[in-house]
Amino acid sequence: MASRRRMLLKVIILGDSGVGKTSLMNQYVNRKFSNQYKATIGADFLTKEVQFEDRLFTLQIWDTAGQERFQSLGVAFYRGADCCVLVYDVNVMKSFDNLNNWREEFLIQASPSDPENFPFVVLGNKIDVDGGNSRVVSEKKAKAWCTSKGNIPYFETSAKEGFNVEAAFQCIAKNALKNEPEEEIYLPDTIDVAGGGRQQRSSGCEC
Amino acid sequence: MHETELQDLSDDADYAASQQQGSRSISGSDSGKRSMSSEPDGAEVVYLKDNVTIHPTQYASERISGRLRLIKQGSSLFMTWIPYKAHSSGNDSESDRNLYTIKAVPFTDIRSIRRHTPAFGWQYMIVVLSSGLAFPPLYFYNGGVREFLATIKQHVFLVRSADDANAFLVNDIQDPLQRTLFSLELSRAVSVSNVPSASVSVSPAPSIENSQRTDGDSYDWSSSISQYNGRHRQKVQDPARDLSIQVLEKFSLVTKFAWETTSILFRESHNNDFGADERKNFIQSLPDNIRDTEHNNTEKVPEEIPVASDPLEFDKLTLVWGKPRQPPLGSDEWATFLDSEGRIMDSKALRNRIFYGGVEYRLRKEVWKLLLGYHAYDSTLAERDYLCSIKKTEYESIKRQWQSIPPEQAKRFTKFRERKGLVEKDVVRTDRSVSFYDGDDNPNVRLLRDILLTYSFYNFDLGYCQGMSDLLSPILFVMEDESESFWCFVALMERLGPNFNRDQNGMHSQLFALSKIVELLDSPLHNYFEQNDCLNYFFCFRWVLIQFKRQRKKRGWGTPENGGTIEEEERGEDKLGEFEYEKTMRLWEVLWTHYLSEHLHLYMCVAILKRYRKKIMGDQMDFDTLLKFINELSGHIDLDATLRDAEALCICAGENGEACIPAGTPPSLPVETGLSYSQQDDI
Repeated sequence: MASRRRMLLKVIILGDSGVGKTSLMNQYVNRKFSNQYKATIGADFLTKEVQFEDRLFTLQIWDTAGQERFQSLGVAFYRGADCCVLVYDVNVMKSFDNLNNWREEFLIQASPSDPENFPFVVLGNKIDVDGGNSRVVSEKKAKAWCTSKGNIPYFETSAKEGFNVEAAFQCIAKNALKNEPEEEIYLPDTIDVAGGGRQQRSSGCEC
Repeated sequence: MHETELQDLSDDADYAASQQQGSRSISGSDSGKRSMSSEPDGAEVVYLKDNVTIHPTQYASERISGRLRLIKQGSSLFMTWIPYKAHSSGNDSESDRNLYTIKAVPFTDIRSIRRHTPAFGWQYMIVVLSSGLAFPPLYFYNGGVREFLATIKQHVFLVRSADDANAFLVNDIQDPLQRTLFSLELSRAVSVSNVPSASVSVSPAPSIENSQRTDGDSYDWSSSISQYNGRHRQKVQDPARDLSIQVLEKFSLVTKFAWETTSILFRESHNNDFGADERKNFIQSLPDNIRDTEHNNTEKVPEEIPVASDPLEFDKLTLVWGKPRQPPLGSDEWATFLDSEGRIMDSKALRNRIFYGGVEYRLRKEVWKLLLGYHAYDSTLAERDYLCSIKKTEYESIKRQWQSIPPEQAKRFTKFRERKGLVEKDVVRTDRSVSFYDGDDNPNVRLLRDILLTYSFYNFDLGYCQGMSDLLSPILFVMEDESESFWCFVALMERLGPNFNRDQNGMHSQLFALSKIVELLDSPLHNYFEQNDCLNYFFCFRWVLIQFKRQRKKRGWGTPENGGTIEEEERGEDKLGEFEYEKTMRLWEVLWTHYLSEHLHLYMCVAILKRYRKKIMGDQMDFDTLLKFINELSGHIDLDATLRDAEALCICAGENGEACIPAGTPPSLPVETGLSYSQQDDI
C-alpha cells in the first residue's frame, strides 16, 4: 500500500443531466466514447495518474448524478475536493444558466476553507453537435460569465471527438494542485499507513 | 406411549426431590454406561439417555438416533447429543449425523426447554438457545423427558414459564423484554403448525453461544444442507405426509439454518462467559469417546476468540445459506394456484413459491400484475380483463393531457419542456444493449418515454426522476403493452415513489434502516463503517434506488477482488446482456412477493456486504474506496447465493431486524396519507 501512495487530487464534475459529465471523464481517462452511457445514479469516480513537474499524482475524478434532486448526496461526495469542474452543454441554454446554481451548491456543500479562491474550471461540451449549428451559448457569453466569477478557466470540448479534453483536464489537475497546501505536497510517499495519513485531507487514503 | 410422563410436573419441587436419589446415578432402563458417571478430571455424566432421535424427514429410515447426555464439570452443566455411527447407510446420513451433532452446549447458552407430550407418538423436546435459536426436536424413544428436566433442575436454575406450562426457562430471565421475546418464540414455534408453509422467524437475543463455534470447517455445511433440502422437497410433495411432523421438520430446518448462521454471524462480535480456555479444559477432560468427536475443534479453539479483533480472520465462514433456490414457477403449477374462475386460492402459498424460485418468463405478464398489486389476488380472470380495459381508457386520457399541449403552449410551459427533455435524455440511455430497446428509432424507447411522461402527469408532484426509467424498462419488456406497463409502474411507484422524493427521505430512511440491520447482524462491520465515516451508506445508494439493476456482466462470475478497476473494465462498453436483464427480473419478482419481509432488498445489501466484509475491512477501505468497490461489484453478484444469504439473514434478524426499519420505509406503504412534495425546485 505504502508504495502506491501518492498525492491524491480530488476533482468533482458537476452539471445538468445529460451535458456529458460521464463522457468527459471517460474520454479523458480511457480515451473512449460510447453512446450507451446510462444516467449516473449516485456517484462514481475514475482515477488517473498524472505527471506534473516530475512528480506523479493521482487524479480522482468524481462523476455525479445530474438531476438536482440528488444534490443532497453531495455532502458525502464533495468533501475534500481540490477542484470543481462545471460542465454545460453549449446546445442547451438551461444547462448554462444552471452553472451558477451548481457553483453555489458546491460551495455550500463542500464548504472549502477558502471559497473565494476555490478552483473551478468550466467546460462547454458538445461543440461537435450538428457542426455547431445548434449551439445556443456563445463562447463569448460563457467566457464573460467565467470572468465575472473570478477568472474561471474555460474550455470548449467535445467528449465524443476527444477535442480539447486532455488540455482541459491538465488545467484541472494544475488547479487542483494549486489548491493543495504546500506542506502536503512534500509529504513523503512512505508516510505511515496506520493513520497519520488519514488526517491529511486528501493526500492519503488511496489504499 | 409412556403414560406416566403425560402427566405434568404438577409439583416441580416435590418431583425434583423425589428424583434426587434416582438421578444421581445414571438412569434410563437402556443405559449400559454407568461406569461413565464419574470421570477423573471432574467431568461427570449426570444423565444419559439412549435412543434419543432426530427426524430430519418423515421417513423412518432417515431418522438419526443418538445418545443424550448431561455432563457436569465444576459448576457448569453441559448437554451433548452424539448420534450413533451409521449402519453403512451411506455418506448422506453421515453428513446429517455431523450436521446435527450437539457438542457440549453449556447451559449458560440455553434459554429454555420446551417439552411436548403428544397424545400419539413420542415425547420430544425443543431446546432453545439464548440466541433465540433452537435445536431440532429431540424425540425420546424410551421416555425420559421428565427425568431430563429433573436432572437439570438439580444443577441449574430452572423455572416453569408463567405463560406455558410445558416450557422451562433455564436461568432466570430478568429482563422483561427478553421474557416477552421468549414467550413469543414459543408461541410462534407452536403456531407455525397452522401455516405449514411458513418459515419460522427467530429472534436472536444480543448474546451468543460460543458453543456453536464447535462447528468447524470439517463439515461441508452447504452440501449437507442441500442434500437435506433436496429430500425435504420430495417430502413436501408426498401427499401422505404427516402434517404435524412436517411442521416440526420445517421448524427445525429453519432453526438449524438460523442457528448456524447466527453462530457465524455473532461469534466474532460477542464475548461470552464461557471462555476459550474453559472450553478447552472441558473438552480435554471429557471421556475419550466424547473427545473423539470434538478433537478437531480443540485445536482451533485458541484462535477463535481473537477473531473478533482481527478483521483478516473474519471471513472464514461468512457464506450462509437459506433454502436452495427452486426452478421458476411454470404454467402447470401456476394453474394449480387458480380456482375455476382464476382467483388465486392461496396467495401466501403463491408468494412463497415465487419467493423461492421466481416465475417463468411467459407467466410474468400475468403474475407480475398480481405481485405488484395492480390486480387483486382474489379477482377473477374476467374481473382482471375488465379492469384492464377500463384502465386502458384511463391511461389514454392521462396521456392526452401532455400530448395535447401544442407547441405554442409548450413554449410557455417550462416545467413540461424540461421534464420532457429529461425523460427523453434518459430513455435513450436505458438498457439500450437489450435487444428490445436497441437500435435507432426503437418504438419501445418511445413507449418508455410516453409512459414516463404520462406518469409525470399522473403524479405531477413527484414528476420524473432519474432511476425511474430503469424501473420501468423491465416492466414494459414483460408486459409488451403500454397501458398495462403504465399501471404496473404506477403500482410499483406506490411503494418506491419515496425513493425519488425531492428531499430523498425514502432513500435516507432505507439507508438508515440498512445501517441498523448491519449493526444488528454484524457489529464489527458496523463499527468499521462508523470509524471510517461510512455510516451514511451512500455506497449502497444505487442498489437501493433501482433495486440492484445496472448489473454489468463481464469476465464471468469472478469477483473483482484482484483488481479490476473501471478503467480496465472499459466502462464505456457496458454490456447489459439479456442474461443480466433476466436476473434483474428474477430478483424483482422475488422482492415483490414481500414474503419474508417487505425489505428483503436491505438484507440483500447486508448479504453482499458480509460476503465482502473481509475484503472491506482487511483492505481498510475508506468511503471513496468502498464506494468504488461496491460500484464495481455489479455484475459480479451471484443472485441465487445472495438471495439465500439474504433469506438466512432475514430469518436470523427476525423481529429485531424488522424493528430496525422505521414504519413507512419504502417499499412499505407510507404511514401518512396525502403525500406532499415540495414544489420549489427542479422539474
